[in-house]
Amino acid sequence: MKLMIQRVRSHLWMFLTAIFFLSVESGADLLQPMMMSWIVDRGVKQEDVQLILKYGVWMLGIAFLGAIGAVMRNIYASKTSQLIGMEIRSDLYRKIQTLSFENIDRLQPASLITRITNDVTQMQNFINGCMRIMVKAPITCVGAILMIIIQTPQLIPVMVVILAIAACLIAGNMKLGYPRFQRLQKKLDRINDVSREFLSSIRVVKAFGGEDQEQEKFDSAADDLAAAGMSATRVMAVFGPLINLTVNLGIVFLLLLSGYKGTIPIGKVMASVNYMTQVLFALGMVSNILNMAVRATASADRIQEVLEEEPAQKSAADPLVKEIVGDICFKDVSFTYAGAGRPSVMDMNLEIHAGETIGIIGATGSGKTTLINLVPRFYDVSAGELLIDGVNVNLMEEHALREAIAVVPQKALLFSGTIGYNLRWGKEDASEEEVKRAAEAACAEEFIQRQEKGYDTLLGQGGVNLSGGQKQRLSLARALLRHPKILILDDCTSALDAYTEAKVLKGLREHSKDMTVLLISQRISTVRRADHILCMENGRAVGYGSHEELMENCRLYQDIFRSQIGGEDNG
Amino acid sequence: MAEKQQPPQMGRPGFGAGAAGRLQAAVKPKNMKGTLRRLWELTGDSERGLGWILMFSGLASVSAILSPFFIGKAIDQIDTGNKAYYFLALLAGVYLCDWFSRFMQQYLMAGLGQRVVAHIRKVLFEKMKKLPLAYFDQNTHGDLMSRLTNDVDNISTTISDSLSQLLMLGFTIVGVLSIMLSLNVVLTLISLVSVVLVFLLTKAITGQTRKMFRRQQEFLGRMNGEIEEGISGLSMVKAYGREEAMYQRFERENEELRRVGTMALIWSGFLMPLMNVINNLSFLSVAAVSGIMAAKGLIPLSMVSSFVLYSRQLSRPFSDIANIYNTFQTAVAGAERIFVIFDEESEPADSEDAVPCDKFEGNLTFKNVSFGYTPERLILDGLNLEVKAGTKVAIVGETGAGKTTIINLLPRFYDVADGQVLLDGKDIRDYRRRDLRDAFGIVLQDTALFHMSVHDNICYGHPEATREMVEDAAKAAGAHEMICRLPKGYDTVLGGGGNVLSQGERQLITIARAMLADAPILILDEATSSVDTVTEQKIRRAMLAMTEGRTSFIIAHRLSTIRDSNLIILLDRGKIKEMGTHEELMAKNGQYAGLYRTQTG
Repeated sequence: MKLMIQRVRSHLWMFLTAIFFLSVESGADLLQPMMMSWIVDRGVKQEDVQLILKYGVWMLGIAFLGAIGAVMRNIYASKTSQLIGMEIRSDLYRKIQTLSFENIDRLQPASLITRITNDVTQMQNFINGCMRIMVKAPITCVGAILMIIIQTPQLIPVMVVILAIAACLIAGNMKLGYPRFQRLQKKLDRINDVSREFLSSIRVVKAFGGEDQEQEKFDSAADDLAAAGMSATRVMAVFGPLINLTVNLGIVFLLLLSGYKGTIPIGKVMASVNYMTQVLFALGMVSNILNMAVRATASADRIQEVLEEEPAQKSAADPLVKEIVGDICFKDVSFTYAGAGRPSVMDMNLEIHAGETIGIIGATGSGKTTLINLVPRFYDVSAGELLIDGVNVNLMEEHALREAIAVVPQKALLFSGTIGYNLRWGKEDASEEEVKRAAEAACAEEFIQRQEKGYDTLLGQGGVNLSGGQKQRLSLARALLRHPKILILDDCTSALDAYTEAKVLKGLREHSKDMTVLLISQRISTVRRADHILCMENGRAVGYGSHEELMENCRLYQDIFRSQIGGEDNG
Repeated sequence: MAEKQQPPQMGRPGFGAGAAGRLQAAVKPKNMKGTLRRLWELTGDSERGLGWILMFSGLASVSAILSPFFIGKAIDQIDTGNKAYYFLALLAGVYLCDWFSRFMQQYLMAGLGQRVVAHIRKVLFEKMKKLPLAYFDQNTHGDLMSRLTNDVDNISTTISDSLSQLLMLGFTIVGVLSIMLSLNVVLTLISLVSVVLVFLLTKAITGQTRKMFRRQQEFLGRMNGEIEEGISGLSMVKAYGREEAMYQRFERENEELRRVGTMALIWSGFLMPLMNVINNLSFLSVAAVSGIMAAKGLIPLSMVSSFVLYSRQLSRPFSDIANIYNTFQTAVAGAERIFVIFDEESEPADSEDAVPCDKFEGNLTFKNVSFGYTPERLILDGLNLEVKAGTKVAIVGETGAGKTTIINLLPRFYDVADGQVLLDGKDIRDYRRRDLRDAFGIVLQDTALFHMSVHDNICYGHPEATREMVEDAAKAAGAHEMICRLPKGYDTVLGGGGNVLSQGERQLITIARAMLADAPILILDEATSSVDTVTEQKIRRAMLAMTEGRTSFIIAHRLSTIRDSNLIILLDRGKIKEMGTHEELMAKNGQYAGLYRTQTG
């Protein structure tokens, strides 16, 4: 609710303009039955056609004015609500970009998608509905009630009772509705989650015949959603007709009373009945809009939760912006993933000088990727300090830090867009020449040229239309284009054939002369030319030194070496 | 450069195979009646209970018709100084009946509406499941998700909100009209003039809104795609400091969505005010004419008041229907986007004389096979290859040479454009697709894991497997120790996408999955690329035992992985360049030998 009020306030003028036109519209709506009662009472009863026409012209004029008000109100209401919706979506998207992976894992990507789209739509509908009905309904309602009182003051007690009952019903409706609508949105998350997982695993699903299993999962999610929706709408089914009944019985009492008293002019009784139906509609509208309000509140709370999410990584209060040279120093660094029992990196001490190339090798799951993820602050160290050029990375301005770093991940992440667009992620204003040079260094130029449209070839989401090795080379070219001070290569040549890999590594060496390079690989041949090699096991460094040194004194390194070179000897 | 940064419009026709099917669907005229009829057909038998709802709607409208009648009678009585207890008791009865039938009708409708929507969702998912991979390659996940949620949701809202109302309104109109006709024909006809006007107005406006709502859903889908991609790729977005650029991309869709959404709302908002004017006109004409008639003594005064009430009773359902028809446009827009998927060509059905088969020998033949992901660019061109059962085949070659493509053809992820792939002497298209795919144990480059326990991930597709079988498979894949280190061992539920696992660990689990499948033919596409070499050797030993007597296809760049294959195929731009055993190829001293030497140093 707070969120909605705050948003509406920022567009107060547009909102008020809509309300102004709405008042015109509602005023016209209120006057109409009065004109009608005049037409019947004064015109028809006195059999004066002239008078009927005179009031008729008045009535038409009012209706016309009302129509203008309604059209204008609609234009402003639509604009305001859509604008607010757009702004909330923007804010949400911005916010999500600042969240750390920990936050996102907690909030779930599928749920975030639901929140930006469906939940915002709920809010938007409500705000629009507000300007359409919420204001009109009370005005109509109050106006109609006032009219009834003016026309037939004898009926005040009846009105009080009716309104009290209606209020109770509406309150009950909201109280029961809120948790149900919140559950409904959660179930929608689940649908999004299941379908997202299905879509991103489609190959495995088809290969392993998981279709039935996926259908089952989806069916149960759909059934759950239907059950939640049913329970939410049934609340309305209970309360809506009850409100109707209350007002309808009010009409009966009204007639009963006027018959009992027998002193009220019949035209006024008719008008009151007419107003009573207006009250009925207004209450219907109110309970409708309150239903929307309940749903919108449930959604707004979910949106608010994202907006208020504390990024697990805090930015420094007074971030340091400075030119980065490329010295990296790990001081007693440990890191544990949230929810994981044991640390993935333990007591890491390393000093890397600018311009050095460090090879990192170790068993699957030994913490290599985790270690390098700490450098660009994908995650923050749990203990110890990570210094770049002697400054704790947590004190640096995040963007400036990442500006100086380029990461080539294991799983090449590309985006829908052209090849050129993807490469220019590295450097937005890169000239064609620069892009080409980077592509050449990554041995990507040749296959790009083979594509029909070269650099303008469109890639699907995640680069589906490229082979694994091609994606890796693009991802590498993207990093090289950046001319980073620190280049992080996470086993990014695994899908390349030996020949291409050798070429890529050569191109890389030429390109990265003044860069600090962190190079993860499974292959000794890839890391052996590095200045130093870090050998990791279970999150700890078990060896650090040149190839020759490690061959001397690191048992694990020797094992790895034997598994690769030795293994090939006996083949 | 600015234009280069335009995000592509995924899912538009002309982007790869399958475009023909979609083009056809796009050409098909969008007509509302057709869409609604299809929607009705789609509901299957989930509209059970509609009879009851109809009955209660009928009851509710009877009450709506009778109440003004009784009110009129009561007012007449009160006017003549009577207490009108009799009619008021009747009126109260009618209202109670109205309450009960409304409640029942809405209650039942809530169930029915949700049932129908759940049914549509399931059927849509079922259809999606059958679509060929090419379709998923061309559409962003977010857009497809939007169809399953937002578009179906639009239908749902309409069904539960409007359909029941529509039924009731129909009954009301019939009832009110018959009473009015019985009262006075001339006055009824005057009231009906407005109906014609309402009809024309609605037609004019919905013609506009339909297009706009459709565009709105499209943009919503595109935005969904944008968000999904942005979240999936957030690590790179952050690494490259592209937050602003991604935000701009998002904002473009967001802004478009706002623009189209506003227009759609504004246009659909014209309907009610204009209708109100029409209704007032109608009321006035009825009042004037009935006034004149009453003045001339043609009709009693009581008839004037009830007629005036009736004329409002009549115009209201019509405006409501017009309004519902207006909101129907959003549902139709959603439905159309759903039908686009239904109109997509599924993976071709199994041929009728497909033989069920659960025992394959494993002889594979490629006969003149040509294939390209787009018709213009062939990846494989006239490939011929014969693999005897039990052969260990290794495919090497530069990236992009077509290695993965060959493997994609075997389980029919894609079908050949030309030529034939034979399994045990029969075209693979002559087997049932399920049997065929069961014949392959596949480890893909793509290490997709599901949000469920490690156990369930390993026995994916084979839910009948026991814990023992799962553990054996994991042990063979060298994953057992790693799994035991997880907080809950085999029962650890992997996070969305298995985030905490390293790439190598994920590969181990996917290998275990293929090991469990225990299929006659094994396909390993870069299965161990991220696994350390010590573990890899262990896996290799297990694989050796497993591939014994089976046909296997291995793609690997570490040539150490493939040396003991019986047949090594060197692929170059979709053609076989060298073929033979390791020794033969080394002796030949060609490209393979060169590759081998580069790698061993």
